[in-house]
Amino acid sequence: MRIYRCEDSLEGIFTGIYRAYEDHSDPKETELSLDEDPRLFAEEVQVVPDREKSKKVVRTLCRRFGEADYMGLCHALASRDDGRAQAVYRTVAQGLARNVAVGHLFDNLADDGVLRAFKLSQNVSRESQHLKGFLRFEELKGGVLYAKIHPGNHVLPFVMEHFADRFPQENFLIYDVGRELFGVHRRLGTWNLMQDSTGTLIREVEGVNRSPSEAEISELFRRFCHTITIEARQNPKLQRNMLPLHFREYMTEF
Amino acid sequence: MMELLTSRKTLSVSEKLEILTDAAKYDVACTSSGVERKGDSTMTGNCVKAGICHSFAGDGRCISLLKILMTNECIYDCKYCQNRRSNDVPRATFTPEEICTLTMEFYRRNYIEGLFLSSGIIGNPTLTMELIYRTIYLLRTRYRFNGYIHVKAIPGADAEVIRSTGFLVDRMSVNLELPTADGLRVLAPNKHRKSILTPMRQIQNGIHQSRDEVALYRHAPRFVSGGQSTQMIIGATPENDWQILNVAEGLYRKFELKRVFYSAFVKVNEDKDLPALPGGPPLLREHRLYQADWLLRFYGFEAKELLDESRPFFNVMLDPKEDWAVRHLEYFPVEINRAPYESLLRVPGIGVKSARRIVAARRSTNLTFEDLKKIGVVIKRALFFVTCSGKMMYPTKLEEDYLVRNLTSKEDRIRFGTDGMSYRQMSLFDDGMFSGKMEASDKWQVVTGQI
Repeated sequence: MRIYRCEDSLEGIFTGIYRAYEDHSDPKETELSLDEDPRLFAEEVQVVPDREKSKKVVRTLCRRFGEADYMGLCHALASRDDGRAQAVYRTVAQGLARNVAVGHLFDNLADDGVLRAFKLSQNVSRESQHLKGFLRFEELKGGVLYAKIHPGNHVLPFVMEHFADRFPQENFLIYDVGRELFGVHRRLGTWNLMQDSTGTLIREVEGVNRSPSEAEISELFRRFCHTITIEARQNPKLQRNMLPLHFREYMTEF
Repeated sequence: MMELLTSRKTLSVSEKLEILTDAAKYDVACTSSGVERKGDSTMTGNCVKAGICHSFAGDGRCISLLKILMTNECIYDCKYCQNRRSNDVPRATFTPEEICTLTMEFYRRNYIEGLFLSSGIIGNPTLTMELIYRTIYLLRTRYRFNGYIHVKAIPGADAEVIRSTGFLVDRMSVNLELPTADGLRVLAPNKHRKSILTPMRQIQNGIHQSRDEVALYRHAPRFVSGGQSTQMIIGATPENDWQILNVAEGLYRKFELKRVFYSAFVKVNEDKDLPALPGGPPLLREHRLYQADWLLRFYGFEAKELLDESRPFFNVMLDPKEDWAVRHLEYFPVEINRAPYESLLRVPGIGVKSARRIVAARRSTNLTFEDLKKIGVVIKRALFFVTCSGKMMYPTKLEEDYLVRNLTSKEDRIRFGTDGMSYRQMSLFDDGMFSGKMEASDKWQVVTGQI
């Protein structure tokens, strides 16, 4: 058994995959790990993230499996599950070994590695789909839009990408509460992520007043949601199924 | 009269929103799907092919669009409608600017995916359509809104106004209201089948023409690129499920609609021509119709396979696919590792997604029941109808009575006073006393199409 200890980043994990191939490791006897837990009778390899190597891996993945399946792998790697690196490695290894056609990387769901990666990928893309709908902006004084989310997986990049395309003319901030991470988009510009471990930025943002019209407009929406309900069809159980309670913490209408 | 006019003037936006939302809530369609449009740096908004649900109301229905009427003034007197002329309800009218501001402010805060604008008939159909057009034009040009817009085409309106509106919106719909012309005559004396179908045909032709033009010139304006939809009210008139399903099939085939929506009749008015619904709105009927609708659109079923003149109602206890399966045992069992995609789709418990996954996965390996579970097949339903490498999961009988007993719950069989040996069709009044009425998971399956 050989264990590659990778840094927890796309670059780290892709470099790990590169190293495993460079060493001609047998996929069955190889593991990509993100933690430092000691393992008995295993050969350990520390992987130093390398931009060039990870780029090469990305290029290969895109060429061999196509953009869509590469996105699938990226989704899986954004999961909070500890086994994500290993699941993706197993999937890539079987895909290359079986020489699957473009768009067919996740076909073999009877394989446990593929199934795992597929499930993780689905889980992440579902969560980011949900947040694209359930996220709520508030308008701060000065017109900046500000939203808070608390996702299980690291979906902020996907969410930022979506809103950057949707609101090119807005300055907006999205704060991932659990990861203490800001997504910042500038009007007619690009977006980037900012780690805020010390909490200085969030304190500053929370200190800014809401815009004068904010209370009125959020009240209008609450009224709208209330009125649109058909009393004769009242069905809170269905509502809870479609919109689980944990999303509601930061939603205007609840 | 003077008093009414002055009181109308003083309505705040908030009061108007309440009145005009309440007046619009019985319209079903709230989907924002069918259009993929990238953002534009000079505008606000984009569209996502699959649509996005932004919230869910207390009745479990999705809130995706700002669904409002422009006005609930109406010159018509349709008996099922709360906005009918003879009803004494508060009336309100939005100005185009108010609608635009609401849409933009809601959209910026990510409350909604776009606007769904419908209207009561004010003055005459053409005038109403013109007002809708003006509002949408303002929203697209002055407010630079690039998100999803769904509007109603008003039957009887001038064709030119409908055409101009079509180039600004993503989806248009003309409500069929009631499944048959007879029903329409009784309950909506001012509406005529012909005037409803005319704009529907016009939009269909417009979509065709626009598609051809876009094929030639990439930047040709797009006409109703998200397709058109319609809705009909279920249970207000005595049509049976077989008639309704045939109407829906006709609409899909002849008018190429994207969606037909069914809306269980909610009684808001007292009228001698309206049925009494002691059990509440016929939600189970509506649910079965949606299930059958998916079978028509994605599973390769035809209306005549599901129902016929001699059995014109859906089964209360079995969903339409199970019902079809137990009556066509000659098709089963289906061999998972060899059967064509179309046959897999006909197995209860296998949806479009799982059928695709089976076809993809079996290229690399022989699938077992364990694998089917992983893939997402509902084993407890499918196991009676499939074999894996020639073997069933465990010994079962391919017999109608045996299957019905195993596919239905004990509570329902006791309630209906049968032991599963005889099961019956749904009648108009069974609703509300049935445990399988609105299983949340079932509803979810209808939404995602995994029946």
